[in-house]
Amino acid sequence: MKEGITVSNEKVSEKVDLNPRKKRRKSKYKASPLDIIFDIFNYTFLLLFTFSCFFPFYYLFINTISDNELVRIGQIKWYPVGIHFNNYLALANVNNLGTSVLVSVARTVIGTALMVLASAFVGYLVTKREMWGRRFIYRFLIITMYFNAGLIPWYLNMSMLGLTNNFWGYIIPGIVSPYNIILVKTYIESIPAELEESAVIDGAGYFTVFRNIIWPLSKPILATIAIFGAVGHWNSFTDSMILMSGRPELYTLQYRLYIYLSSASNLSALMNSGGTINPQLLNSLLNIRTVRLTVAMVTIIPILLVYPFMQRYFVKGIMLGAVKG
Amino acid sequence: MVEKEHIKGINIFLIMLRTAVILLLIATVIPALNPARMSGLINKSYAFITMAVSYSSITSGFTRALNRGWVEESPLKIIYISSVIVFLGIAAISAGCCMTLGKKRLKKLGVKIIAIASGIDIPALFLLIPAYLSISGTSNPDRVQPMFANGFWVFLALLIICFVLSIINVLKLPRPGPEDKYEMESKYKLFLMILPFVILCFVFSYLPLWGWRYAFYNYKPGSELSRENFVGFKWFTFLFENPATRADIVRVLRNTLVMSGLGLATSWLPIVFAIFLTEVKQGNLRKIIQTITTIPNFISWVLVYSFAFALFSTEGFINSILIDLGIIESGTNYLMSGKHIWLKMWAWGTWKGLGWSAIIYIAGITSIDQQLYEAATIDGAGRFRKMWHITVPGLMPTYFVLLLLSIAGILSNGMDQYYVFKNSANKDTIEVLDLYVYILGLGSGGSGNIPMATVVGMIKSLVSITLLFTANKISKLIRGESII
Repeated sequence: MKEGITVSNEKVSEKVDLNPRKKRRKSKYKASPLDIIFDIFNYTFLLLFTFSCFFPFYYLFINTISDNELVRIGQIKWYPVGIHFNNYLALANVNNLGTSVLVSVARTVIGTALMVLASAFVGYLVTKREMWGRRFIYRFLIITMYFNAGLIPWYLNMSMLGLTNNFWGYIIPGIVSPYNIILVKTYIESIPAELEESAVIDGAGYFTVFRNIIWPLSKPILATIAIFGAVGHWNSFTDSMILMSGRPELYTLQYRLYIYLSSASNLSALMNSGGTINPQLLNSLLNIRTVRLTVAMVTIIPILLVYPFMQRYFVKGIMLGAVKG
Repeated sequence: MVEKEHIKGINIFLIMLRTAVILLLIATVIPALNPARMSGLINKSYAFITMAVSYSSITSGFTRALNRGWVEESPLKIIYISSVIVFLGIAAISAGCCMTLGKKRLKKLGVKIIAIASGIDIPALFLLIPAYLSISGTSNPDRVQPMFANGFWVFLALLIICFVLSIINVLKLPRPGPEDKYEMESKYKLFLMILPFVILCFVFSYLPLWGWRYAFYNYKPGSELSRENFVGFKWFTFLFENPATRADIVRVLRNTLVMSGLGLATSWLPIVFAIFLTEVKQGNLRKIIQTITTIPNFISWVLVYSFAFALFSTEGFINSILIDLGIIESGTNYLMSGKHIWLKMWAWGTWKGLGWSAIIYIAGITSIDQQLYEAATIDGAGRFRKMWHITVPGLMPTYFVLLLLSIAGILSNGMDQYYVFKNSANKDTIEVLDLYVYILGLGSGGSGNIPMATVVGMIKSLVSITLLFTANKISKLIRGESII
């Protein structure tokens, strides 16, 4: 299916290049006043926008480590005052937070692992021209990217399958991911066929070839889809809201954060009373604003932790862009 | 010649056998065909496979009946044992069916397995009859509701067909020679390997289409689809004839189109950003800018909302600064204001997506032929002329594809962003189609109008797919290339 490949390449390059090489234009002419005006405008614009992207993270962070009373009245603006980390310790007493973290971590790990395995295997299989019904099967998988029945039928289907109020409702629907299958397929097609042929001559079967040749060689693309898959799992909250309404203990961290942010509840409703931290300390240190901001910070941290690795894989994935031609 | 041999090779009995096995497998997952539902106390929504997997799915409805002694536990045990045997048999039958794709020896083994398994399954299925008789002998038939499952006859018929056909095949298939091994042609091997994933894809992406039938019923959560509540196209006409819903649809469509339209109207921003960024000469600075501006794309809308909360709520950053500067006296919660929602939503969307969307154009700029720039320099073109006459045209094909795709997705802005920012003050202007469907169908705690929401979603899906194909046609006409 030629069309699928076109799209994939178009989108592949999206994930590829964070490091553009630019060797052109040694200054062969003098900078005109217009140039200077443009540069000033350009740098101002870029730096302002970069600041606007950076500042919320910073602002959130300084507010979680500053003196809580100042935070409550909004007096922490540019730098932290009265640094302490009690807010993070106090999170142990926030209701339901621990289970939500567990659910989020579990779905991210299990969901991503299964998705990557399935995408790698299916991506490999659909490159095999000798497969019976290959064209049909490939189209059958890919077409689902462009069409869906809608939210309500999807929900009714999940409920019919017993996947509502069930942890596996997070995992199983995401295992077969057509977009990632295209990515892996395109990547595998760029691996020299001789490698596989020589193994086949040595008597290797499909599973052996997959395990010993395809899997290790496609690690860059698998890492890429793993990271994007993991971010997707970590960030998703609407499926919690739609599917798990009957079992709040299965809410993800994101949805839990949304509940904390949107409910008008007071501090005592949020915290459980019997805890390891002295309640007096709690009352003097915490307020609803700091708790919300600290939970948000905890939710962001994993993204910030994997982000540097992600960038590495954008760059590693450049090989994919090479297929483009 | 080859063709002729191929036709000769078709074994009609084998094909019939495979069809029967597939039907049998489908029957095991359809609740209406559950052969083991011998009492109304067994949940109607359980398919046969559920009965075989867990004993508690059979007994769960019987707690009271067992305590009161209306029924013995033994018939339930018999039902379970029978279900397990039949289910294992069906598993063996499907394995055998897969083997029939193999070469001579494997094929023969496959049909033999089917013959043996269905031969065991038929008497095992008959175990359900004494169980039924025992249940129907209950002291309280009103409560226990003994019934003879129609699925029993379906299963019996299919199993007998499988048995007969497999015996025919066992007799008819040529005896494998001593040189034949248990082998399968690789094309079928590959097919069997991918089959589980195809089934998974079917279950989660195609099966929901079956849910469209809810649009034609007067369905309430908890009730069932039946002939009585079939209403035909009532909800479709209701949608347009009822003034309240019509007003809702108009409002929601306006929000959707305005917000998508704002996105479309500014879809050139990432190009500008990419060009501006490549004009930065310091490599490190460029990298830092790119790294930081891409991060927002990777955080969820809930986190974006938490930023909005931190910055724009009453005690937030903006209010504190304005108070410090003496512009305002006391803080207001900007999140609770219903003003300029479309622009605010556009701004958040752009803030989140700009850096990321620019990456594809930055990649595009690097892939533009450097000789073009050199030639232009020699011809005396300045910086801006090169931007306008080389870079921008070089990015146009990519822009065009993305623009067409976003036009095709004009009705689907997703619900995450609008859901998190929604509140009582802004709900009239923030509700887009996706969010409206959710709120209409599921958002009101079990009392939603599922048929109406299905109708709206259905129309949306159909319009979207039409738009996509139109966009694809346009692309083919103009560029000679398809976009999907």
